[in-house]
Order: sequence, then C-alpha cells, then structure tokens
Amino acid sequence: MSLPIYFPLGLGALLFGIGLWGALTRTNAVRILMFIEIMLNGVNLNLVTFNRYYWAQTPESASLASIFTLFVMTVAAAEAAVGLAIILSISRTRGTVEVDKFTMLKG
Amino acid sequence: MSALTLLTRGESIAFLILALVALGSTYKMVTSRLITHAALFMALSFTAVAGVFLLLEAEFVAAIQILIYTGAITTMILFAIMLSGLAEIRKDRETRGPLWMKSDPLVLVVGGIFAAFMCYIYAAANLPEAITPESLPTVKAIGSALFTKYVIPFEVASILLLIAMVGAIILTAKEAE
Repeated sequence: MSLPIYFPLGLGALLFGIGLWGALTRTNAVRILMFIEIMLNGVNLNLVTFNRYYWAQTPESASLASIFTLFVMTVAAAEAAVGLAIILSISRTRGTVEVDKFTMLKG
Repeated sequence: MSALTLLTRGESIAFLILALVALGSTYKMVTSRLITHAALFMALSFTAVAGVFLLLEAEFVAAIQILIYTGAITTMILFAIMLSGLAEIRKDRETRGPLWMKSDPLVLVVGGIFAAFMCYIYAAANLPEAITPESLPTVKAIGSALFTKYVIPFEVASILLLIAMVGAIILTAKEAE
C-alpha cells in the first residue's frame, strides 16, 4: 500500500471532528442525528484503515474489520430509526424539533 | 515512468479527490440552510467514503456502506423530514445563540484542530511500516466467519434491528382512540 496511513486516518479524524462540532452546535434534532451518523462513519474509516495496514495476515483476520463495521452500521441504523421515531413523536406533542426548547424535565 | 509509480500516483490522486468530495459535502452539510439539502450532502459524503473503502480494498464494507448509509439511512431521514407534515422540522438555521456557534469557517478550523491533534498522537505512537497483506477480506471469508465464530453477535444484531423496528412503529403510530 503506497498511500501513507496518515491520509485515511486524517480523513477519519476530520469527519469525526466536523461531525462532533456540528452535533454540539446545531439545535435541530434531525440535523444532530445526521452528524452522529457522520461521526460513526469516520470511526468506521479508522477501523478499516488500521485493519488493512497492520492486520491483514490471514483471511480471517483480514475480514475482522468488515465484520465489526457491519455491527457498527447495524447499531447506527437501529439508532437512526429509534431516534427519528422519538423526534417525530416529540415534535407531534411539542410542535418543535429544536432541542433547546425541550425543557420539560427542568426542575 | 514505470507502471508501479503510475499506480501509486493514481492511488494518491484518487484518494485526494474522494477526500475532497467527502470533506466538502460534510462542510456543506453544516452550512446549508435547508435540511433536505443537508441530508443529500450527507448521502454524497457517505458515497465518497465508500470510495475510500474501495481504495482500502474493503469491497464488502464499501457495498454495505452504499446499501445501509446511502440507501437506507438517508432515505429514512428524508422520508421523516418530508412526510412529517411539520413545517418546523424543515426550518433550520437558528437565529438565536452566540455568533461563534453559527460561524461557518469555524467548522473547518475546529475539525482541522481535532484532526491535527489525532495525527500528532498517531505520529508520536511511531506507527510501524505497513505490512503487505497476505490476504484480502473476501466475502466468502466474511460470510463463513459471520455464521460460525460470530454467529451469536450476528443473531443479537438481528434481534436489535427487530426491537428497533417494533419500537419505531410503537413510537410513531397514532394512538387508537
């Protein structure tokens, strides 16, 4: 592999950083959910990169990252489904999706 | 120029193009005013990262990235935005909040600082030379490992998906009067 390992690792870190910043500063709940997906994607990229550069010795160890990434994506899909359902039902009762307006639990 | 150098250069150029597309679309995701545009830029970012997965010779991951992220999750988010009938969900670009929260270039600055910090840690870790892989992940090896050694996590993941589906239906279904 001629590509230096820092390139894909840096891309993964950049995606994670941008996603983290977006998730922390935006107030639209749907948009926050989208940035969490971007962060998970950056983590997957890191995982696959390290597996490809250092761990692809046997067919089984070479496919470990693919299997783990499959589980990460499964959890991401489940999280997006339940998160969107919660956002829809909360927007139906409260009439808004801005997270700083959800102050029902405030004492 | 030998074929190997050409290949090397092509690999780097392809990676740089894909990385630029991914970063640009993620940046537009943060800055675009309409949330539907943000969702479409998210699909573009996922597709570019799928291309990077192809460069890293992980074809299976690239395929499920396209299927799950670009196909399923983007479609689900777009459907939730468009079918909800709530104008509030589409409105975005909050007007409140301090100025630094809304600043667009600051997104790249913060992301760049984070990436530089991570690259500094990687450089300090003295990563060894990349090995020449003796074998690449084949779909056959992935499938046989998934159904023998990792069959219990696989089944747990399917149960998780089933529970998520039932939970989403219960949460969004209108209550019967």
